[in-house]
Amino acid sequence: MKRLPAASGLAATAFLLAAPLFLDRGTLNDLWSLSLGVILASAWNLLGGFAGQVSLGYSAFLGIGAYTTVLLSLRGVPPFLTLPLGALLAALFSVAIGLPAFRLRGPYFTIATIGVGEAVRVSAASVAFTGGSSGLRMPSGSFDFTANFYAMAALAIFSVVLAAAVRASAFGTALAAIRQDIDAAESLGVNATRYKLLAHALSAAVVALAGSLYAINFQYIAPGSVFDFRLSLSIVLMPVVGGVGTIAGPVLGALVFSTLQIKLLAIPALRDAYLLLYGGLLILVILYEPGGLVGLLRRLTTRRQATAPEQEVPDAG
Amino acid sequence: MTDLATVLVNAFLAAGLYATMAYGLAVIYGVMRIINLAHAGIMMLGAYVTLTLFERFHVDPFLGLVAVGPLFYLLGVALYRVLGRSLRRSGAAPSMDSLLLLFGVWLVLQNLAYYVWSGDTQSILTGYTLKSVAILGVRVGAPSLLVFGASAASLLFLTLLLSRTYLGKAIRAVTQNRDAALLSGVDADRISAMAFGLGTAFAGLAGGMLSTLYAFTPDFGRSFLLKAFCIIVLGGMESVAGVAVGALVLALIENGLAVWTTVPTSFQDAVTFTLLFVALIAFPQGLPGLFTRLARRPVPR
Repeated sequence: MKRLPAASGLAATAFLLAAPLFLDRGTLNDLWSLSLGVILASAWNLLGGFAGQVSLGYSAFLGIGAYTTVLLSLRGVPPFLTLPLGALLAALFSVAIGLPAFRLRGPYFTIATIGVGEAVRVSAASVAFTGGSSGLRMPSGSFDFTANFYAMAALAIFSVVLAAAVRASAFGTALAAIRQDIDAAESLGVNATRYKLLAHALSAAVVALAGSLYAINFQYIAPGSVFDFRLSLSIVLMPVVGGVGTIAGPVLGALVFSTLQIKLLAIPALRDAYLLLYGGLLILVILYEPGGLVGLLRRLTTRRQATAPEQEVPDAG
Repeated sequence: MTDLATVLVNAFLAAGLYATMAYGLAVIYGVMRIINLAHAGIMMLGAYVTLTLFERFHVDPFLGLVAVGPLFYLLGVALYRVLGRSLRRSGAAPSMDSLLLLFGVWLVLQNLAYYVWSGDTQSILTGYTLKSVAILGVRVGAPSLLVFGASAASLLFLTLLLSRTYLGKAIRAVTQNRDAALLSGVDADRISAMAFGLGTAFAGLAGGMLSTLYAFTPDFGRSFLLKAFCIIVLGGMESVAGVAVGALVLALIENGLAVWTTVPTSFQDAVTFTLLFVALIAFPQGLPGLFTRLARRPVPR
C-alpha cells in the first residue's frame, strides 16, 4: 500500500516523458492542459490545503509569470530564460501581499485575496506597458510545442514531488499545525506568519513558472485571460474537488477538471454549462464529502467499525 | 466650491445604494457569522428580474422593486432551508465551508442567468433614464435620485423592522450575543432563516436599483460585492448606522478621487480594493472600533 503512490508516480512520469513519441498533437495538448492543472492545483494546495489559507487571488501569480515572459521576450531575451525572473517576481509579490494579508484569518483573508486579484487585473488593464486590456503578443518564431510540453510535464512532476516533500518535512508539520489551530501552534513556538509567507512564496513561484509556459504556449496574453477571476476559481476548485491537503487530491481534481473541460468543449450545448458544473461540484463536495474525491475513496476503501465515530473532529478556526 | 458640492451630492446619493447593498451582507454576517459570497450573484439576479418585469410586463423598475423585495426574501429562506446544514453557525469565526458553499451558489446563479438571459450586456432604459435635475447647483441624473429615494425607503423600513418588531429584536439580540439570545428563548434556526431571507431581499433590491444605473451581464456584481464588503469592514458589521457611515466614507472617497485627482475611472475599483485591504488590516473592528479604541486609550500619566 505504501509503495503504490511512488509506483504510480513513476509510471505517470515515464508516460508523460514518452508521450510525444507516440501520441498525436491533440492528445498532447490535452496532457499539456492536465499538467497545467496539476501544477496550479498542487501549488495552491501548499498554502490552501496544507496551511488552510484559502486564497482566491492566484491568477495574479500566473499573470505575473506570463507578463514577465512576454515583456522580456519582446526585448529579445530567450523565452525560457525569463522563467526564473517571473518566479522571483511572483514570490516577492506574494510576500508583499502576504505581510499584511496574513494578519487576517479565515474568510477575511479569502476576501482580501479576491480584492488583490481584482486590483492586479484592473491595474494590468489600465497601465500602458502591459499593452492595456488588448494584451500582448509574443515575438514570432519563439514557439516550439515539444519543448514547451516537456517543460510543463516536468514542472507538473516537480510540483507533486515538491508537495510530497513539503508535507513530509518539518515545514509541512508546521503548516498542518497552523491549519488545525493557529493559536496553539503559535503558543508552541511556530512562527505562523513566516511559514505562511514561505508557503505562499513557494506556491506563487511555481504558479508563475506555469504562467510563463502558458504565455509561451498560447503566444498571446491579456488581462482578461491570465488575470481572469475564473482562473483563480478553477485553481481553487481542482484541489477542493480532489481533496484539500492531500498529495493525490490536486492531481485527481486536475484530472477531473481537464477531462470535463475537454469533454464539455466538445459538446456545443454544454459549452456554457461549466460554471453550473463547477458550482454544482463545489456545493456537492462541501455538503456531502468535504474530503473531496480522496475522502470519498478513503471512505469506500476503509471498512470502519460500526462503533467508530462517523465524523472526524473538524479543524478549529 | 462647485467641485465640493459635486462630490458631496454625488457621494450622498451613492451612499444610499451602497448602504442597501452592504446591509444585506451585514445582517447575514451578524446573525450567522457567514460571509455570503453569493451576494454578488443575488444582486445580479435582482437586476435581471427587474429587467424581465420591465421588458415583459412593462413594470417600472422602481415599482418592480416592491415585488423584488418579497420575492428575494422567499428565495433567501428557501436557499437557507436547502443548504441549511452547512450554513448553520458553527462557532465564533466564519467557517471556510460556508464560504466555499456560497461561492458555489454564486457560480450556479451566474450560469442560470447565462441560460435564461444569455451573456449579452443588458440595460434598462426608461423615459427618465437620461433626465436630470439640479440639486445645490449640481446636475444629477433622475435615476440616481430615484435610487436614493428607494434605498432611503428600504433602510427606513429596515430601521423600523429592527427597532419595532420581535424579529428585529431577535436579530439584534443574536447579533450582539448569540448565547444570551438562545438562553432567552430565541429560535436560532428560524431567526437565521429570516435573516438570510432579509439579506437576500436587500441584495435583490440593490441589484434592481443597480440595473437602472449600470449595464449588466451575468458576471455583474463582483466589484459591488467587494464594495459592500469594504463598507461593512469600514462601518463595522453590527448596526445600520455603522453600515451607513461606511457607505458614505466609501462614496466620498470614490467621488473625491474622480473630481480632485487624475486617477482614471478604470482605476477606481483598484482604489476601492486597496482601501478594503488597508481597512481590513489597519482597523479590523471598523471605524466604530477605531473610535472606541481611540476613546479608550489610556491617558498617559
